Amino acid sequence: MRTTKTDVLIVGSGFGAAAPALRLSRAGFQVMMIEKGPNIDAPGDFRQTQDPRYLLRYLKSFAGDNVSLTYAEALGGGSGFYEMVTLRAPSLVFEQVDKGGRRLWPSSIDRSTLDPYYDIAEEMLEVEQIRADEVPKTGLAFSRMMKNLGLSCDRARYSVKGCVGSGFCVTGCIYGAKRSLHMNYLPQSVTAGATVRTDLEAINIRTLCEVRRTASGGNLGSVPFRYEILCRSTTGSREWSRIQARLLVLAGGTVGTVGLLLRSRSHLHFLSRQLGKNISFNGSVKAAGVLPEGFPEGDMFSGRSHPGMISYHFLESHGVTIAAGKPLPLQAVAAARLKLDGDGREPSYWGEANVKLMKIYRRRVVVLMALGLTPSTAEIGLRNGKPHLHLGLDADVRDYYKRTKRLLDSIMERNGCRLLDATFIDMEGAPRRDLYFSTAHQVGACRMAESVDQGVVNVDGQVFGYPGMYVSDGAAIPSSLAVNSALTILANAERVASAIRGRYMPAHSGARPAVVTASH
Amino acid sequence: MHGHGKSESDGVSSRKIGDRRRQITGAAVTRRAALRQLGVLLAGIGAACTPARILLKAYPQEFEENPEAADRALRAFVGTVIPGAPMDGPNLVRVYHAPFFRFAPYAFYFVADLYQRAANMFGVERFDALGVTERTRVIEAGLDADSTTRKLYTGAIFLAQISFYAGVFDDDSGCPLIDFEGRYRLRPLAELRYPNPGEYLAGERTLDGNFS
Repeated sequence: MRTTKTDVLIVGSGFGAAAPALRLSRAGFQVMMIEKGPNIDAPGDFRQTQDPRYLLRYLKSFAGDNVSLTYAEALGGGSGFYEMVTLRAPSLVFEQVDKGGRRLWPSSIDRSTLDPYYDIAEEMLEVEQIRADEVPKTGLAFSRMMKNLGLSCDRARYSVKGCVGSGFCVTGCIYGAKRSLHMNYLPQSVTAGATVRTDLEAINIRTLCEVRRTASGGNLGSVPFRYEILCRSTTGSREWSRIQARLLVLAGGTVGTVGLLLRSRSHLHFLSRQLGKNISFNGSVKAAGVLPEGFPEGDMFSGRSHPGMISYHFLESHGVTIAAGKPLPLQAVAAARLKLDGDGREPSYWGEANVKLMKIYRRRVVVLMALGLTPSTAEIGLRNGKPHLHLGLDADVRDYYKRTKRLLDSIMERNGCRLLDATFIDMEGAPRRDLYFSTAHQVGACRMAESVDQGVVNVDGQVFGYPGMYVSDGAAIPSSLAVNSALTILANAERVASAIRGRYMPAHSGARPAVVTASH
Repeated sequence: MHGHGKSESDGVSSRKIGDRRRQITGAAVTRRAALRQLGVLLAGIGAACTPARILLKAYPQEFEENPEAADRALRAFVGTVIPGAPMDGPNLVRVYHAPFFRFAPYAFYFVADLYQRAANMFGVERFDALGVTERTRVIEAGLDADSTTRKLYTGAIFLAQISFYAGVFDDDSGCPLIDFEGRYRLRPLAELRYPNPGEYLAGERTLDGNFS
């Protein structure tokens, strides 16, 4: 089995991984990045398609009790496939408390702490607020709905240059307009000396020495290789290998990072009992309706996927932001059975009634989506040795859903929309029996906290009990954000990278990882 | 009631129909066991276990020998689920045979069930010989049957809809029935927007889109 040694190993290549890769390699650290998913040569590898065979090559779903998490498994993580809406978390996000009144975020971290890192991240991703004359039809129709009711609605911010409005943001931008990590952090990291290996899965972690006695700062050359990661190729002969590192940065996404740590628990005895807990799902609630006659049309199939507008109007009062959604046909049909509310015709979700609805779907149907400050109560644990996701539907969660759904419905009804009944379905096409959340904004599972009994990593992102092991992805984020999580994950990763640079000096500069072959 | 078609041109002879009925009856236990496995199959597009060997013994042989008959039945099925879908579309029933979607081992079995219900409910040998009202009732009966049969029908409807509306097998054409053009053709940006956005925009609470 081949063993590779590197000063810094970064597991993952998405928003949580990109900043440490760039900052540490630029600072002269020897950096290696590994990614479980395939390489993406952007934009050439992207396709404008609804073919699940393409989408499921990169996008994965982790379904559990009452909730499912969607994430990307490819070079660049979710950056290739997200809707490129790129917003800072509002200040009140950082002030959330749990049922016991305890602040979810460490007391030393608030919006002002993250703002300098948001600045850096926004500059790297070339984020700009959409101009009024760029807002697509669906966004304008949504804004008109809010305006009609005297409610506010803001133009959102995006990581894009020269958008042509194809409507296929979520399958990857073939025009290279989306400023995904393939356009900035990743190539710059390679230029700075980082090596990137795709199709390589980190299976588990073990320590090579009594790590708690090793230095948590100073010249990295004086720190031993203290972590060994067992890896397996995901292609070809699926060969095994080992990587030994002095510093380890875990950034495989919320699902990936917690899975890796759970699999490593027998080797990492000091991990917090909070591992796998406190997962936030950003309270995604959806409602759909048909615009009334005479109302300006939307367009589900063209214009950027996130159609330009976000309303913060109910953020303080209801804990939610609201935007319009533009699901492409596959996303709509595979997510829910739609029928006109009160339409007694059967069958309702197929046959004539359904076709009639689908014919007006493109221009007359409006979908409202709320993201909210739901509690961090989902968990991932091991069941029979396999990761299992659970969200308990307690009274608070049910009440949140009911209140938010009622709010979305009322916005549509007061605009004269006819509501659509949406029955969410599983991957067999069968209806969900109970409330079910789905999100791509999952954070938590290794949340940062001030002590090991409250979280898995400290405010610098370092795993409690494990000097030199960091978590820099969404897994460290302690709460729902009520906006897309990408920019906050990236900003926090910049902050973690800065903390690492503040602690350690590179052992040497410009050196490539040494490859050592050992007999086994 | 529609024609009791059983000519040679149908490709399914009277003797074979009789054989098929006996097979279905005689294979009831196997059939149930096989359908139970269907949950595993449809659970994903990502599921790994395919009990093909069990099912391959359960479906009527004549549909494998005469796939045209199965094709007609499947097209009639999709045409009932999605009235207005072009019945001669080259990709209309492709999803049922594409290995990725994992319905293929069950496709002929599903057709056999459509035939059986058509015969039992309307005395017609061929599902595709029924009118749309009768076909609708056959499908509803499948959806009201035991849980495993329901999974089969639910899955078949689901696959028909995602395949057709999303234009899964034809990126260039999409789905004209719902005005989905598939792959994007560059259009003037003005077509994607309204010329007077100020008339639509509500009051804003932020200076730059970020809420403080």
